[in-house]
Amino acid sequence: MRERLVIALAAIAALLLAYNLYHIFLVLPDEAAQGAIYRIIFFHVPAAITAFTGFFVTLVLSIMYLISGNLRYDSLAASVTEVGVVFACVNLVTGMIWARIIWGIWWTWDARLTSMLVCVLIYSGYLMLRRAIDEPTQRARLSAALSIFGFADVILVWKSIQWFRTQHPSPVLSIRTGGGNIDPAMEHMLYLNFLAILMIAAALVLVRTRQETMAREIDSLRRLANAA
Amino acid sequence: MRSLLQALSIARKDLTVELRTKESLNAAIAFSVVMLLLFSFAFDPAADVTREIAAGLLWIVFAFSGALIFNRAFVRELPNDCLDVLLSSPISPASLLLGKAAAIFVLLLFLEAISLVVFGVFYNLRWWLRPIELALVCILASWGISILGAVFGALTVNLRLRELMLPVIIYPILIPLLIAAVELTDTLFRNQPLSPDQLLWGRLLVVFDVVFTALALALAEAILVN
Amino acid sequence: MLLSAMDTRNFTFMFYGFLAAWLIVLIYIVSLARRGARLKKELEQVRNLVSSKHP
Repeated sequence: MRERLVIALAAIAALLLAYNLYHIFLVLPDEAAQGAIYRIIFFHVPAAITAFTGFFVTLVLSIMYLISGNLRYDSLAASVTEVGVVFACVNLVTGMIWARIIWGIWWTWDARLTSMLVCVLIYSGYLMLRRAIDEPTQRARLSAALSIFGFADVILVWKSIQWFRTQHPSPVLSIRTGGGNIDPAMEHMLYLNFLAILMIAAALVLVRTRQETMAREIDSLRRLANAA
Repeated sequence: MRSLLQALSIARKDLTVELRTKESLNAAIAFSVVMLLLFSFAFDPAADVTREIAAGLLWIVFAFSGALIFNRAFVRELPNDCLDVLLSSPISPASLLLGKAAAIFVLLLFLEAISLVVFGVFYNLRWWLRPIELALVCILASWGISILGAVFGALTVNLRLRELMLPVIIYPILIPLLIAAVELTDTLFRNQPLSPDQLLWGRLLVVFDVVFTALALALAEAILVN
Repeated sequence: MLLSAMDTRNFTFMFYGFLAAWLIVLIYIVSLARRGARLKKELEQVRNLVSSKHP
């Protein structure tokens, strides 16, 4: 059942991506000021939103784990965080390549770059903590607590670093600006690609959660073997 | 009220132990002097550069040598299963965490006072121009470091790799606090008036302390009780 | 249409950007697949172990 869901998700995502890529490269024109390179935004921004969606979902799952004590929430939280970190890295790397052309530098200590880096560090810490604990319920409890602290901190990091002057281009999505900053065709494409990337992320999460369940099964079987 | 008294008794116990053995305090002070010495090789200590980066350096010293203090807070309870005894006593996990944080807080402030004097002497820095505001910044920022130090000390206390995990987890989370503390301290060292922009940093410190203290108290049980 | 040197560089970097994005996702998928294969093998072994102890 789950296998089929993964394959279906991946297939739809692939189709959507093919459609998106065709439009991004062949239909949409170059941007006036930036030329061809602006197309990176179609992966850069959706990757960031996917990562943050992931971190938020982890927060919710962690709270649900602490309330219910159901290890399923914990497996799901771990998987979502891991996929979130991957897409945060995609966001950082594509951003750096874009910056090399537009700003002439790979990295600058601008608000959003720094915030994203801090997020990657916090959630990498979460993943490392999970590896350092062997006992499943202890791991679930402690990592759930860490993810709640981490998410609270992400908000503060965001605010605090924003108060430094920022070099990053301002938001382009019209839900944040009230429209006018971006060509509607491009914004439409941005949302479509967000959908595609979100589906890929969901497929990855499903695969990863299956592995967590397997690891738990191995663990309990091992105990059974040792107890006998 | 009763839980506050319990927290106080934990703090008093920790401080008494620390004053008798001075194990973490000595190490932390020695480490901060070593760091101040190392900085003198990293840049030209005579130049105006010192004044430019003094605030940042100091908070790096506080945060790093503070790690030697909050690292010990819960590890100290491991021999003879003291932690299990504390947890099975009538003291609530939240009070235990609060008491530990209070003890760390006092030690951290003491460490900061000594580091400030040493820094002033070594680098010819006039840090005493705005003593009350500086004390306020130190108190607010140190409480944030203490409560998070206690939380993550408790979180990692039972791990094999706790010495490795603690800094990896805690420093990214301390970033907003350190930015705010550095910004404010820098202004105070220059003896400039605090603009509304900088008061924003003060507010951030308060928010940081309140949010993480509340979270720590709410999650104390999840963190400490097996 | 003649492309200037700047435009070519712009274009190459766009290519690098897309390459990098998919490369990261691909590396993750490969690591995921390897972990999955390892877990499957381990599960098999442990199952055999258990069934040999509890025939």
